[in-house]
Amino acid sequence: MTSESMITDEARALIGQESEAVLGEVTLQDIQRYALTIGDDNPLYFDEEYAKATPYRGIIAPPNYLTAVISWGNGVPEDELTADGLGRRRDGEYAFPIKAQRRMAGGQELEFHQPVRAGDLITRKSRTTGMEQREGKSGPFVLVYSEQRFFNQRNELLVTCHQTAIMR
Amino acid sequence: MTAETGRARPPLYVEDVQEGMEIPSLVKRPTTVTLFRYSAVTWNPHKIHYDREYVKEEGYRDVLVQGHLHGAYLVQMLTDWMGSQGMLRKFAWTNRRPGFPGDTLTCRGRVARVYEENDEHLIDCDVWEENQDGETCVPGTATIALPSHPR
Repeated sequence: MTSESMITDEARALIGQESEAVLGEVTLQDIQRYALTIGDDNPLYFDEEYAKATPYRGIIAPPNYLTAVISWGNGVPEDELTADGLGRRRDGEYAFPIKAQRRMAGGQELEFHQPVRAGDLITRKSRTTGMEQREGKSGPFVLVYSEQRFFNQRNELLVTCHQTAIMR
Repeated sequence: MTAETGRARPPLYVEDVQEGMEIPSLVKRPTTVTLFRYSAVTWNPHKIHYDREYVKEEGYRDVLVQGHLHGAYLVQMLTDWMGSQGMLRKFAWTNRRPGFPGDTLTCRGRVARVYEENDEHLIDCDVWEENQDGETCVPGTATIALPSHPR
């Protein structure tokens, strides 16, 4: 039996639309807290003299840092969070117009064009590239595909990310 | 330099790499503190990473290791191996099986292809992270640029 479509017309209309957001500045503390948390003591993230002698020519952020941050800025007030804590609620469902209550990261394909450094002011251009509904063992789910491109204050492309989100 | 700084990573040269060779593995044992701090540094309020009551409603036995943390572990294996003169150009991973606090997660990899493109030496790798039962949690791929050995 095929389940009813979880993908709304409103969601389909998002495909291909690009949005742009200024995310904010990456600080040396952001970089080093991230490295410390993942247990990575690579001097590329801590020692400027060492980092200058690498092809990166200075301290950089761990490569998957930018695309691992879930909320830039302040995020969402607690009483507006969805039941799972992740999203902004709207009529009991995600603001993203898929008929689903739960969301998970499926994975990312990253291409690193330029390193991310302390002091970089990050802008992100995002667009939803597609979505498809599938039947899983525990019911239907939707895969939402998107592309994010991250730029610094000199409009240099830093990272391209193709991401899959699972909504069920 | 800060107190957290570890040892210098020795350089790896393209001449040291052959197709089929294994990348030195990296073992990680994330705890609930690791997960808490990872959610904090990525400003991630998702309850599946810290709320043990809530996560049972979603059908899991414990809070889950963040997908991006699995990715970060694989990146660390690659950046440790590529040394001070390598550059990570591409990295992709898929979250296939959840990881939990207390798991022993071992990152592994193998060189799939060594080639030249645009006057650069590039290495394609297959990578994966497995748990203590040998189950693959996160498969992935990566491309690294390496220098040639100085003559």
